[in-house]
Amino acid sequence: MINAILRLSVERRFLILSLILVLVGVGVWSFQRLPIDAVPDITNVQVQINTEAPGYSPLEAEQRITFAVETALYGLPNLAYTRSLSRYGLSQVTVVFKEGTDIYFARNLVNERLGAIKSALPPGMEPKMGPIATGLGEIFMYTVEAEEGATLADGTPLDAMALREIQDWIIRPQLAQVPGVIEINTIGGYDKQYHVTPSPQRLLAFGVSMDELASALRANNSNRGAGYIERNGQQLLVRSPGQLASIAEIEQVVIGNRHGAPVKIADVADVAIGKELRTGAATRDGTETVLGTAMMLVGENSRTVARAVASKLEAVKPSLPPGVRLEAVYDRTTLVDKAIATVEKNLLEGALLVIVVLFALLGNLRAALITAAVIPLSMLATITGMVQAGVSANLMSLGALDFGLIVDGAVIIVENCIRRLAQAQHVQAHNHGDGLLPLKERLQLVYEATAEVIRPSLFGVAIITVVYLPIFSLTGVEGKMFHPMAATVVMALLAAMVLSLTVVPAAVAVFLRGRISEKESPIIQGAKSLYRPALLAAMKFRWLVLSGATALVVVCLLLATTLGSEFIPQLDEGDIALHALRIPGTGLEQSIAMQEQLEMRIKAFPEVDKVVAKIGTPEVATDPMPPSVADNFVMLKPRDQWPDPSKTRAELVVEMEAAVEEIPGNKYEFTQPIEMRFNELISGVRADLGIKVFGDDLDQLFAAANDIQAVLESVEGAADIGVEQVTGLPMLSVHPRRMALSRYGLNVEDLQDLVAASIGGENVGMVYEGDRRFELVVRLPENLRRNTDSLAHLPISLPDGGYVPLSEVATLELAPAPNQISRENGKRRVVVTANVRNRDLGGFVEEVKTRIASQVELPPGYWLDYGGTFEQLESASQRLMIVVPMTLAIIIGLVIMAFGSLKDALIIFTGVPLALTGGVISLWLRDMPLSISAGVGFIALSGVAVLNGLVMLAFIRDLWHEQGDLMTAVVEGALIRLRPVLMTALVASLGFVPMALNIGTGAEVQRPLATVVIGGIISSTLLTLFVLPVLYALMHRKEVNVG
Amino acid sequence: MQFIKQLLLVMGFVCLASSPLQAAGKGQEQVDSKGPHGGKILEQGNVTVELAIFEQGVPPEYRAWVTLDGKPVTGDLQLAVELTRLGGQVDNFTFVWQDNYWQGDGVVTEPHSFDVAVILTLGGKTYQWGWESYEGRISIAPDIASAAGIKTAVAGPGAISRKITTYGVLTAAPEQVARVGARFPGLVTQVNVQLGDRVAQGDVLAEVESNESLKKYSLRAPITGVVIARLVNSGEMAGEEALYSIANLDSLWAELKVFPGQRADVRAGQTVSVTAQGLEQLGTIQHLLPTPGNSPYTLARVKIDNPEGFLSPGLMVAGDIVVDEVVVPLVVDNRALQSFRDWTVVFIQVDDSYEIRPLELGRSDGAFTEVLGGLQAGDRYVVENSYLIKADIEKSGASHDH
Repeated sequence: MINAILRLSVERRFLILSLILVLVGVGVWSFQRLPIDAVPDITNVQVQINTEAPGYSPLEAEQRITFAVETALYGLPNLAYTRSLSRYGLSQVTVVFKEGTDIYFARNLVNERLGAIKSALPPGMEPKMGPIATGLGEIFMYTVEAEEGATLADGTPLDAMALREIQDWIIRPQLAQVPGVIEINTIGGYDKQYHVTPSPQRLLAFGVSMDELASALRANNSNRGAGYIERNGQQLLVRSPGQLASIAEIEQVVIGNRHGAPVKIADVADVAIGKELRTGAATRDGTETVLGTAMMLVGENSRTVARAVASKLEAVKPSLPPGVRLEAVYDRTTLVDKAIATVEKNLLEGALLVIVVLFALLGNLRAALITAAVIPLSMLATITGMVQAGVSANLMSLGALDFGLIVDGAVIIVENCIRRLAQAQHVQAHNHGDGLLPLKERLQLVYEATAEVIRPSLFGVAIITVVYLPIFSLTGVEGKMFHPMAATVVMALLAAMVLSLTVVPAAVAVFLRGRISEKESPIIQGAKSLYRPALLAAMKFRWLVLSGATALVVVCLLLATTLGSEFIPQLDEGDIALHALRIPGTGLEQSIAMQEQLEMRIKAFPEVDKVVAKIGTPEVATDPMPPSVADNFVMLKPRDQWPDPSKTRAELVVEMEAAVEEIPGNKYEFTQPIEMRFNELISGVRADLGIKVFGDDLDQLFAAANDIQAVLESVEGAADIGVEQVTGLPMLSVHPRRMALSRYGLNVEDLQDLVAASIGGENVGMVYEGDRRFELVVRLPENLRRNTDSLAHLPISLPDGGYVPLSEVATLELAPAPNQISRENGKRRVVVTANVRNRDLGGFVEEVKTRIASQVELPPGYWLDYGGTFEQLESASQRLMIVVPMTLAIIIGLVIMAFGSLKDALIIFTGVPLALTGGVISLWLRDMPLSISAGVGFIALSGVAVLNGLVMLAFIRDLWHEQGDLMTAVVEGALIRLRPVLMTALVASLGFVPMALNIGTGAEVQRPLATVVIGGIISSTLLTLFVLPVLYALMHRKEVNVG
Repeated sequence: MQFIKQLLLVMGFVCLASSPLQAAGKGQEQVDSKGPHGGKILEQGNVTVELAIFEQGVPPEYRAWVTLDGKPVTGDLQLAVELTRLGGQVDNFTFVWQDNYWQGDGVVTEPHSFDVAVILTLGGKTYQWGWESYEGRISIAPDIASAAGIKTAVAGPGAISRKITTYGVLTAAPEQVARVGARFPGLVTQVNVQLGDRVAQGDVLAEVESNESLKKYSLRAPITGVVIARLVNSGEMAGEEALYSIANLDSLWAELKVFPGQRADVRAGQTVSVTAQGLEQLGTIQHLLPTPGNSPYTLARVKIDNPEGFLSPGLMVAGDIVVDEVVVPLVVDNRALQSFRDWTVVFIQVDDSYEIRPLELGRSDGAFTEVLGGLQAGDRYVVENSYLIKADIEKSGASHDH
């Protein structure tokens, strides 16, 4: 079949070449549709269901909302699991679907179920699904600030509330229209509200209850349409406007008549613009601000969308009132551009180096260009494949591409064709004199020359592809990180393979028709003159060579164990993110004060450009944090503006950590913006071992968790043991005294309504100002609300017109309560986490399980579940234990298929360990850890080593069969193959040099890979040139003797 | 052979690549050696002392176990523990042998945060140990503290004035309202005063001609006040009903409702600040009256001056009754109080160090609270932003969970 394709390619060469145009066209079209981002998306398929429940405590939110929502989701198709949390004012249920589920399908299912339970929820509660976005979704952030001393047109200062109004009603509607933006999420400032704040004494004096006040406002604030009438042929619409539009109008609303006089709102209450009870705030550089975040729709191109948002932001600016400063603080474009620039630079430089090497060694520019043409063509084919497979372009997926490797097959083919053509021309010139071959002969020659080497190079590519199999067996986060990388490399290799099977021979047939120089380039000649004596010497001291090689492998194996290791590389996003954690129960205003001090300190670093923070929960609860937690984003200045541009990010983080540690009351976790978002969304147990206790009663759960903690502490190797913090929210409980209530003719509900309206406020309608709409709220004046002592004396109106103080009918109690309730799969849970040190994880988990089973007694209805990273490790190890040997067997099988000889297959296989030695040594020299990136390098190396060995041995064997003398065949064959071996080695290693030296964004993925390949290729080349011939001669000596 | 090597290497790589998960954590916690009784082990030569604070079922006390060459010593030794607390206070403990342990004399008061010095005299030799054992103590540099807005004050004597808020209505007292009627029925011949006129006691209100004697007599005002009702005109017959109402509103009575829950605190003679129509006036509770009927509250009556006549009966007023006003030796500002574990604490400051002081509290008003124990007069404690100190001490427990 291969031969048929080859023959077709050579004969229909112009057709094949014109197909390139198709490939280019499709490739360019695909490139425009290729999602480009900085890092791979590791978010699972999830739908967040947020229900805002103003005033609800965690317990009520769980009981009334979370439970109902969770129950409704039971039995959804493709459901992986649900988890939920219930906080003050919020219920969030996260539904995670199995990998591969279509997000729109999933949302439809959820939506359908939510529709069915609306009636089961308390009135006014509306579960909403979170935006259709992934962890990569937060692509753009901006702040809205007031310039010094700026005022609004009416002279009032531009305060946080005014800025929020500008954000909500001017900026947001415009930005939300940008294609690809699914949500503009706001945090910071205050929602403007109209507050009616009654004085309890004035209410009593006029005999008006809070309830009457609220109903008066409800009943006097609406417009009504009343159809139309026709008069004299004209249609008149009828309407009765009655909406309240200003403070003065609100004040004039009549509540009722007392002794013939109307009682107006103004008589019993003050009306003013007020602040909402907010759940979140934002700060920038130490002052409060309003922060908007643009969320990108899943699957969009982040660079395109971020750019569109940025340009829209500019377009919005003229529409803002004077004195308002609108500024982008985070723009994903920067990171993506940097990442793309890194990849581009590496690829371009690599490609140039490859062309130079080819030209220098082949001595033929056309041949070099034909080979180099494989680079852009295979790239275009890869991009097409990526778009089809839904792989996005990012640092991981493009980071492992090496054009040196990709052109290897083409190099071998072109080199052989040139050699054969030059030879044939030489013979022809000798016979007839003109030195040019007739077309038919030339085509035949190209076909033969290609066929001669196509098998080994196809096998080589197949082997490299097979070696990537173990990476495909990774699952979970690791899988999502590395699958794109493996997929891209495999696609590029396959594309190159197809190209070298079709386009390369066709192009050779078309373009290499002139006189081919029979003289080899001086470099090759020099190399040959050095190589021959060296090879002869190696053949003489073969035992020395072999034992030296074995010793080298052993030494490197030992060396490898001393290298550090990391599993997932950290992609440097350029900016720093940090969580500032305060103790549970810290109030928002307190948190802001602490945050301001923290930001001042961070801003003092000369490297820091901006620092912004989100505290608590934004308007759309994409990340429901309590007010005690702040997400800080530290934007760094460009490196050339640093006092010391050579300072690494890690050093800066260490300095920053030390500096902020001095600020009292905060604990920190340093991370990066995208990484932080991923962690928030995936939100699994990040410790080695997580023991989840499921059950009903929170106290019981907590007790069980503490028992488990005690057991863990006694197990050897346990470290960082922690129990999930579930309590600690101080709560003021107003317990109704039922007897007393009945004495005054009150129901519990009357009391609760009053307390809720007084403290939390009661929403009694809307005030419309054009398009803008603001809530009308009845609430006690701030000085009474804040004072818990005076709360006890709060008068409650009685049905008979009298009053009774709150303390008479209720007990006020200040006690800690759950700050949040976490549930998983529909059951309350508490997690105990632990890491493992200086001990094998498997044994540790086993011991913990048996100890807990014997020492911790759980009441009926409570159960445990073991999770954590150990699970992934266990499953990954188990899978690799099967996949790795299988891969090796497949490779051996392939080589045996190629050679029909186990012995030769094993000889070629010796190339692999020797190739790896160079990789290990170079890692060690550059002080780098073993990582998956380095592993991919090793994988590529194994492929190159096998490929070179294959080509080399194939030649030696053919020569041996032709000439019958083993020693001559070995030496001559090796000499003929010197050029292709050197070429493939040089292109592969030089192609990686820019990557190895790179320090830009994304370098952390590429550097280890390139380092390994460069080091490994050097050792692998030496092996192919010396050890392989020696080994072959040695292994086949007996056959010669016998024969 | 090479194949096996290759296999080993790949396997080795796989294991190495996955090992970072196992080595994810860093650093090793220093675990103090604990003795068989859960106490701290002190060793010197052949002598071992285990010192523990025992607090199960009893107030915290020191217990010690001493061994010489591995054998318990039950007599003939002198063991002393000296605790130096923040601020220089020193607690000394000596030990006596109980059934199976050496018991320290006295309670180890909270917080258990001090420098410990142990002196043991055994067999003529003296052994010494010393270490720091801090809890609830942090240090903050002065510039950071002032930037964070941490302000301190010195604890000392102060006044506690506790108030409760009550509401009620203004009434005129019975003695202040006079209804004037004709002594003998007869014809009203002259009316001298109009509605709203101020009259003095003895002023003539009207002239009536008696039916029996046909003599005219004068109706005189029994009290000074304002005419609030006039039911008669000249020429009408005066019968038994009242003709005039005169009320003296120069002073009024606020009848404040005191509910059962508040009743225990309220006594006659207490000062009340009455707010009516935005005007505040100080008064005193004159008497406490049970209400007629079945109402559950008691009325506290306070006399209110009304010289200008701004106030009128029936007006709703609020009364803040000062139920407690004492000067006590030690008070702390309420802003300084924070909850810490099961205690209410303040944070004392000594130089850069801040430490918890669990308090035993007495009476409290809206601004200050009496301290019964746990703090000394003259201690400098954090008033403003005391929450920061609490947050800093407890922060190791703060976690980020979603």
